[in-house]
Amino acid sequence: MISNLRRSVPSRLGLVITFGLAALAMIYLSYSLPRLLPGDFVTTMYSSSNVTLTAEQEAALRAYYTEEPGFGHYLVKLFRLDWGFSYAFLTPISTLFFSALPWTLLLLGTANVISMIIGFVSGVEAAWRPNSRLEKGMVGGMTIIEGIPEISTGVILLVVFALKLQWFPAAGGETAYAELSLYAWFADVGHHLALPLATLVLAYFPGNFLLTRNSMMMVIKAPFVTTARAKGLCARRVRYGHAARNALLPLVTRFGLRLAFMVTGALVVETIFSYPGLGTVLFNAIQVRDVPVIQAIVLVSSLMVLMIILGLEVVYRMIDPRIANAH
Amino acid sequence: MSLEIKDLNVIYQDGIHCVQALEDVSLTVAPGKCLALVGESGSGKTTVAKACMGLLPSNAARQGQIKLDRQRIDQLGESLLNEIRWERIGMVFQHGAANLNPVHQIINQVAEPLIQHRSLSRREAHALAGEALVQMGLKEGYHSRYPHQLSGGEAQRALLAMAMILDPELIILDEPTSALDALSKSFVTGSINRAKERGKAILLITHDLELVVHVAETVAFLYLGQIMETMPARDIFTQPLHPYTLALGRSYPAMNTTRDLGGIRGDAFYRFVHQHGHNDEAGYRHSHIQVPLSSHKDGHAPPTGCLFQNRCTQTIERCRTEKVDLEAIGDHTVRCIRHGIANLLELKGVSKKYENTVAINAMDLTIKCGEVFCLVGETGSGKTTLAMIAAGVIKPESGSRVFDGRDMDEWMHKGYPSLATQVGVIYQNPAESVSHRFSVFDIVAEALKIHGLSQSREEMHTRVTKALADVHLSTDPAFLGRYAHELNMGAIQRVCLARALVLGPSFLVADEPTSSLDPSVQAKVLKLLLDLQIEMGLTMFFVTHDIGLARKIGDRIGVMLSGRLVETGPAHLILSSPYHRYTQLLIDSVSGISHGSFQPGSDPVEPGGCPFATRCPRATDLCRLTNPQLLERDHRQVACHFPLTSRHPG
Repeated sequence: MISNLRRSVPSRLGLVITFGLAALAMIYLSYSLPRLLPGDFVTTMYSSSNVTLTAEQEAALRAYYTEEPGFGHYLVKLFRLDWGFSYAFLTPISTLFFSALPWTLLLLGTANVISMIIGFVSGVEAAWRPNSRLEKGMVGGMTIIEGIPEISTGVILLVVFALKLQWFPAAGGETAYAELSLYAWFADVGHHLALPLATLVLAYFPGNFLLTRNSMMMVIKAPFVTTARAKGLCARRVRYGHAARNALLPLVTRFGLRLAFMVTGALVVETIFSYPGLGTVLFNAIQVRDVPVIQAIVLVSSLMVLMIILGLEVVYRMIDPRIANAH
Repeated sequence: MSLEIKDLNVIYQDGIHCVQALEDVSLTVAPGKCLALVGESGSGKTTVAKACMGLLPSNAARQGQIKLDRQRIDQLGESLLNEIRWERIGMVFQHGAANLNPVHQIINQVAEPLIQHRSLSRREAHALAGEALVQMGLKEGYHSRYPHQLSGGEAQRALLAMAMILDPELIILDEPTSALDALSKSFVTGSINRAKERGKAILLITHDLELVVHVAETVAFLYLGQIMETMPARDIFTQPLHPYTLALGRSYPAMNTTRDLGGIRGDAFYRFVHQHGHNDEAGYRHSHIQVPLSSHKDGHAPPTGCLFQNRCTQTIERCRTEKVDLEAIGDHTVRCIRHGIANLLELKGVSKKYENTVAINAMDLTIKCGEVFCLVGETGSGKTTLAMIAAGVIKPESGSRVFDGRDMDEWMHKGYPSLATQVGVIYQNPAESVSHRFSVFDIVAEALKIHGLSQSREEMHTRVTKALADVHLSTDPAFLGRYAHELNMGAIQRVCLARALVLGPSFLVADEPTSSLDPSVQAKVLKLLLDLQIEMGLTMFFVTHDIGLARKIGDRIGVMLSGRLVETGPAHLILSSPYHRYTQLLIDSVSGISHGSFQPGSDPVEPGGCPFATRCPRATDLCRLTNPQLLERDHRQVACHFPLTSRHPG
């Protein structure tokens, strides 16, 4: 135990420094990359409107919007938690961001959790019956579904269930301007959530299934699984307590990375279903070259990747004790 | 509680191939007893264990019965099996720590069966599991460790604690000591013996023969799914009856055996079988297994007959055609058509006189197939004469010689060449045993020419170069054209060896083959000789005066004195505790222990007395008057009135 602690202090310090440097690099990238986008806010805003700008006006506007605050200024603002104003909406970016965030969390969080659970359980069960018709059929089917991009699943679901059958609303996160009781509001939100959620689950869970099944196939051949069976343990305990527990690691990695890309990940699906999440905000901001908004979202999502990787380190140690002792 | 396996057949179906893993295996493990299953890897040992646990993979087809306490357990469903597993049969699987789940603390894993089978609470189960671990020498601090934090020995002890946690009546141990150091091994040995004392039945699977001798009562040797021999475990090194058992014993680095390790020639193969199955309502598990035809991957192996035929040292024509069953011989059962290791050469009452000198007194000697028999003794004791009689070079004055089941003299009379191809001889003093007018090629090719065994010059050339390559000699034309005097002693000796082996004999008589060589060349030649002995399955009669050499190469040793054998038996027994004073003297002289001034060679005082009487410090009047008979004592034969183990009257 003592040697364990002794080893971990410098290694933890190293970890903090590494992650700090990575965060700094990401802040710089979030500052510089959106500026490299071709086109600018003034052109996109006024080229499509009826307002005709004189040359001086245009020059003045352009000078205002392309003003270079400098990276130092950007950093200082960042530490003051002052994210600035959106060019297009003229509202503080934080307002814009935090009004969209819950919708994204709801959609992607649910999609990830559901697809992880379904993928894991189906993967474990399929791997437990190697070469059976069920397993072969599932692997084939999942590989095909995995190949369909979410943009086509989304459109198909939209056309079939929203436009043709009209079982589900085609757009939005809730019915606008409706005065609803809490219960009815939940139902309404769920109703709106169904199609984008289904699209995302269909996009995510075949990957989870295939990953789980593959790592399970490795694990079920391990001697300790045979030993567990020999101990006369019930099938569920052998399958999940012994085998699947060891097949969990790759899936956790995948889950973590999915969470990290949550902020931007649903861009396509949110756009198709006009869902009021961060993806839609980002999509609109890019269209009008609303640089401060792009910067904010890029920054938040990249920092989230970092934080989740850091979190995964902790989770790994809990799942697999061998990692804690690895050099 | 006893385990009874009857006629167990297991076939693994792998696509279109079927591999026969077990064939007609019948075993019984009684309470308080340990049965050991030994065999090369791939012989089906673990399959037996898995069959008992109902853990055969789904592609395994099985026939036969497995009974636990007279109740069949081989047809139980999974839920009934789960009641037997661990509750009545505990098991330690092979590969040690890999059987512990890397993500659970060991105490959890040991306690798990208690929670499952006994419905104990987590706390109670942990308390009991902790006790069991402590009993296995794993202290409190180790209990919450993960498997990767344990050493191999600690993991093995945790597995033992786990296997015995429910106090099952039958414990199956699969390679419990492989990869363990000697001290951990003796701990495991102790645990097994304690379990036996508590009345547990133990099925031990191992290739550690020493462990078998220490813990098991009975041992069964498996080869390619067949039991080749079962015997009392104490007889492994001293009384193997099957050539396979002998070869396994010879391959094991036991502390008390002295011979250099030898393997078994060739390789085992997978037994692919043709299965004509028809599924009944219970599925293929009961499909009918027909004609267990074995065939090699490459199609070389025997379709019929004994499975061991290509690796055996005593294969005869019947081995290739007839089906062999187990038969009881004494307290062994052996699967061999020749009823166990056969005698290659039997000398009965042979004697030889040179004018007035008696070289060999009427004596008996038996050489078994596949063994290396070393004849040692002082100069003039008749070693060479006996060797030449054995080789058929000298005719004895009286007595009979039986070689490979045929009378040698009659055989010689009818057709000497066919006998001569069976016996290769290396004569004493290699330089003089080759003609100085012959080139290397001629020396080796002469036998082929005499026996007319090569049709063409090319074929002869191929056989000669192969024989030379076998003894690690050059095969280029320049070397083939050299004469013996141009070669060094080591090379001449190898040429002699090539000459002796070119006809592919089954019996090699080597008379002091290395006495004229310096130690480094001697070492090389001997190593070569032993390798060839294993690879060609030779039986060897090796004459030497160097008892240290005999210790390194001999399976059995015979000690000669004045034309008599005074002691014969397994090399390690005779060398570690000689019974005859003369043998002791020979060993001591090599070890540099002096016993005063002994005259080499002697005559008996009285014609009828013991030839060693004049030199023996223990000699009594009895010794001087009567010559002792060669009598059987503790796995050996000794001719002494007062063998060294018994109390001397004086």
